Amino acid sequence: MSRETFLARVRQAAAAGRAYRVHVQPGITAEMGRAAHGADLVVEFIAEVTKAGGRPVVVRTPEEAKQQLVELFRFYEPRSALCWQHPVLEKLQLAEFLPSHGVEQIDFAVIARQDFDHRRGTILAADIGITSADCAVAETGSLVMAHGAGLERIASLLPPVFVAVVERAQIVPDLFDVVAHFGGRLPEKLPSNITFITGPSKTGDIESKLVTGVHGPGKWHVIVIDPQ
Amino acid sequence: MSQTDYTRQTHHEFLVAAEQALDDPKLQASLTNLGDTLAQRNREAWAAFPQSDAVRELARQIKDETLAHLDEYLEEFEVSVRRRGGEVHYAADGAEACTAITEILRSRGVKKVVKSKSMTTEEIHLNEALEAAEFEVVETDLGEFIVQLSKQRPSHLVAPALHLRMPEIHELLSGDAGETLPNTPEDMALYARRRLRADFATADAGITGGNFAIADTGSIVLISNEGNARLTVSLPRIHIAIVGIEKLIPKFADLPVFLKVLARAATGQKMSVYTSVINGPKLPDELEGPEEMHVVLLDNGRTRILEGPLRESLFCIRCGACLNACPIYRNIGGHAYGGVYSGPIGAIITPLYDGLVANHHLPHASSLCGACQAACPVKIAIPEMLIRLRDQLHAEPGELGWAEGKAYGLWARSMRVPWIYRLGTWLATRTVGRLSKNGWIRKLPGALHGWTKSRDFPAPASERFRDWWKREGEL
Ligand code: SF4
Repeated sequence: MSRETFLARVRQAAAAGRAYRVHVQPGITAEMGRAAHGADLVVEFIAEVTKAGGRPVVVRTPEEAKQQLVELFRFYEPRSALCWQHPVLEKLQLAEFLPSHGVEQIDFAVIARQDFDHRRGTILAADIGITSADCAVAETGSLVMAHGAGLERIASLLPPVFVAVVERAQIVPDLFDVVAHFGGRLPEKLPSNITFITGPSKTGDIESKLVTGVHGPGKWHVIVIDPQ
Repeated sequence: MSQTDYTRQTHHEFLVAAEQALDDPKLQASLTNLGDTLAQRNREAWAAFPQSDAVRELARQIKDETLAHLDEYLEEFEVSVRRRGGEVHYAADGAEACTAITEILRSRGVKKVVKSKSMTTEEIHLNEALEAAEFEVVETDLGEFIVQLSKQRPSHLVAPALHLRMPEIHELLSGDAGETLPNTPEDMALYARRRLRADFATADAGITGGNFAIADTGSIVLISNEGNARLTVSLPRIHIAIVGIEKLIPKFADLPVFLKVLARAATGQKMSVYTSVINGPKLPDELEGPEEMHVVLLDNGRTRILEGPLRESLFCIRCGACLNACPIYRNIGGHAYGGVYSGPIGAIITPLYDGLVANHHLPHASSLCGACQAACPVKIAIPEMLIRLRDQLHAEPGELGWAEGKAYGLWARSMRVPWIYRLGTWLATRTVGRLSKNGWIRKLPGALHGWTKSRDFPAPASERFRDWWKREGEL
């Protein structure tokens, strides 16, 4: 069926259907759906991350964040890492820090020039993903990831372990605030892909028993840098 | 192709299928499990978020507004998708959608396709069409993958393998692996992860549905807990989304309204693990992501519902909460409904898509207890609509065309069997009032049992019935 016929049919049906519009309550606004927020956004955020199955930790400085990463490296013994190029991570100087702990940082510029099979082999073998976020949501414990060049979507997706480092200033109270966060970029300048991440990869498909890590990372760590 | 062709033979077997389900202890155990967990979590989630009432009302208003001007929102969506370099295709029915998708795949030399869970692709029998065209198709949601191995259909909107127990799943996955896997859920999931990763890495195209389609940004929104939907739109070079036209919402700013209620309704989570808003193909400097993005917009009977009194059923965001809440679903499971969509919402939309006469049991497969509406994130008036469908079944056949009148007359005769009238009540008293599985009657009562065995109900002219429905909608 042609586009014109299709849309004409929808136009006719939508018009006829207006006779059956539902009764709605007047005066409902989005503001009424704002969640009640605790006194401190960091406290609320890490409580929700924990509920979603993540392991949050709060540190004061980028130095302390690096110490937390060292702990994680000791535990998981990763050999290679997919990392974002992001202002928050630049403060950790991952390019020098990772190799000094025996972790190779996969260089996006290098693998971009590799042939398909070689590149696929490298990214699928990565042991850990390290990112920041565009913003984080206290209400739900979600990270909001705006993907793009250097902020690759695969970093939080392919490796079995995923670590995000976020700063207090990145945390917004409510899901509604995410819209305002992207407001200036609507609609043309939105990134190709925005993903909300709220937990390690989960499934309940085998007898409703919770299993993590079925497709995405099974381990989810969040390091919050809070100078306060 | 009609929506539920491949289940045609099961349409007239609702009572038999229901009885078989009641007799299946494994299924009963799964369903009890479901009722005890998901339905409970839904109630707790609403209670823990008092603002949810306003959000649900708002979600409902947004759906009502979108449908009232759906043609305009579709055109805006198309402009937005094109602006980002995506393509939009229009499909009037399942056959057109399958053809459009097959064409895209063929012209680009695709061999292997990965899919993430989508009821819309079930609805149009896409897997059958792709396999007939000799593409290799791999379902990647763990439950769907298991269902695909078992060659069955999904039995629940969000938990497709709900009807299968661990030993069966173990056997299916071990069969696929060619060795006996360790017998724990963790090991089985790990096997699926490894097996399906290899498929993701080598697939040329990823096919998804879409939980929402956003008009002002041209976005497709995909929600999953496993991450397979993300992989589907990250590794293959082509992404095709097939989306029913009722999935439109006007603005990116509307999305949080739905995110706040969808996961809470479905599983009691505040958010599902992954919500991806896909705004177009990857940008040139991105390393991974699809180079091409296609959106296939599907009608397949939706405009027929849109113009009629039951248009509210198009508000459905497919969360599965009404299934989990329903005393009937929780006793007979999804397959007994005979269509792609089961439970209370399936009891409405299967007759609407596929013909009321052909599915005359379904509007009666409800106790009208209202648990579905209480659980629904968009407060769909499910009981009211079921009553309306019952009324339509009871209407005088005088206004019908000859062929419809004949089919209807046959049906009306069967309806004089008082047991059928009482089916809803019967199911209700046997299910709602039941405190434990012990007191459960395993067989249908004698007279009804006899009826299911001896009745001879000819296949009705369901295509004609649709014409009738169309006229009826305009009255
Ligand atoms: S009718 Fe409501 S509760 Fe049922 S699946 Fe649709 S949105 Fe969910």
